[in-house]
Amino acid sequence: MAGMRETPVRPWLPLALIVLALLLLVFSEAGTLGPVTGAFHYVLDPLLRVASGGVESTGNLFQMVRDVRELRVRADELQAEVDALTVENVRLREYEAEVQQLRDLLRFVGDYQFVAPLGADVVSRQACDTFPCGDVVGADPNPYLRYITIGVGSQQGVRVGMPVVSSGAALVGRISETGPRTAKVQLIVDANSATAALLQTSRATGLVVGQPDGTLRMDYVVHGREAGAAVGDIVLTSGLGGVMPKGLVIGQVARVDRADYEMFEPIIVRPAVDFSRLEVVLVLAGFEQISLEEAEDGGGPDEPSAEQPG
Amino acid sequence: MSLYLAVPLLVFVALLQNAWLSQVSLWGARPDLMLVVVLAWTIARGINEGLVWAFIGGLIIDLLSGGPLGAHVLALLAVAFVGGQNWGEGLGAPLVRVLLLALVGGLVYHIVLLTVLTWTGHVVDWGYAFLRVAAPSVTLTVVIAPFAVRGTGWLSRRLEGEGPRR
Repeated sequence: MAGMRETPVRPWLPLALIVLALLLLVFSEAGTLGPVTGAFHYVLDPLLRVASGGVESTGNLFQMVRDVRELRVRADELQAEVDALTVENVRLREYEAEVQQLRDLLRFVGDYQFVAPLGADVVSRQACDTFPCGDVVGADPNPYLRYITIGVGSQQGVRVGMPVVSSGAALVGRISETGPRTAKVQLIVDANSATAALLQTSRATGLVVGQPDGTLRMDYVVHGREAGAAVGDIVLTSGLGGVMPKGLVIGQVARVDRADYEMFEPIIVRPAVDFSRLEVVLVLAGFEQISLEEAEDGGGPDEPSAEQPG
Repeated sequence: MSLYLAVPLLVFVALLQNAWLSQVSLWGARPDLMLVVVLAWTIARGINEGLVWAFIGGLIIDLLSGGPLGAHVLALLAVAFVGGQNWGEGLGAPLVRVLLLALVGGLVYHIVLLTVLTWTGHVVDWGYAFLRVAAPSVTLTVVIAPFAVRGTGWLSRRLEGEGPRR
């Protein structure tokens, strides 16, 4: 064909490059390439920020219809208002349920001391003074993974394992990798993500796992509880395992696949976050994870262990 | 083509894919720009340059991805290997060969990527991945490939002096 080049094939080249790629894969999985990739990130991170900024400004140029833009702004304002009211509603319900539980506990086990659950602050841009805020600068180029890249990194105190939330204290995911000025966030909808969760109304606990289609499924919710899951129930982080704060909003029950013969009832959860529209997120750098060893020893969260994967 | 030109070009392509194209979805299809560029360059300049582009391009994509380092390198090497073969030369119009190579190359790319993810312990739903991600993306690759081949053909001619002789 036209333009086709005939070059003397070097038979060793494919083999050499494949071996090199396999070595990269092995060393990467072994975790020994951290310093090397870190060095590359020093070069790529600023470029990624520039590219993200360029894409953003180019995208703005294409918004030619002024009315559409104004409507979008108005819709965003209304959405923010709805979000704020929803969050307030969720938190009030959460407090109500918590108060009820504490009353019950005080009645029956008054001699025991309980550590107060970690409350989640409502997140806003103003919170950036306390926690590192990150602009979303990229999505994963791998079509089978659901990660985002945010514009804060280890220089801002971001560490692997830290929870990431969006406005409305809605859980976005967890820091999976840090560069100097960027970090990768594994979204809760990634197929490898699993988050301990509970249903707000029935207090049934389970595990929310990401699905390949970008939805969430809550597993291990025991079938036949007195108050089972219902469509519309709010799903929150349970805090079990100590890797996530309790009470962050994960989503809402969209469907319950109830089958009488099964022990658990899988629940389809609609994420609270629209991941395609994420612009600013907040890293909960102040949250101290409890390592498994500490939990087993009965120790408190004295030593932060943000490196522990969830 | 000199690496001094290839590396910045591939970095640009990777950044474009990461910052913009990753968020684009056309009926579930995501444009795999690096795949198309590597395939088109292999068709235009031969397997040797294609393999080098695949290695560098894959490495940059892997560095920007949350996945295992080496996954895209292996997938794009496979694409360059496919693109560098003489398959389909007797099929008539060059366009047919480009479409065929894009189809096979796209499928190989996704198969290798999914295999590496499975090897490295990622949860992969092969049925869903093939039907909802790979199939639409490969279709889009087949549509884009002829234009990319024209583009790289033009670039190749501009760099005539540097490249291998016909």
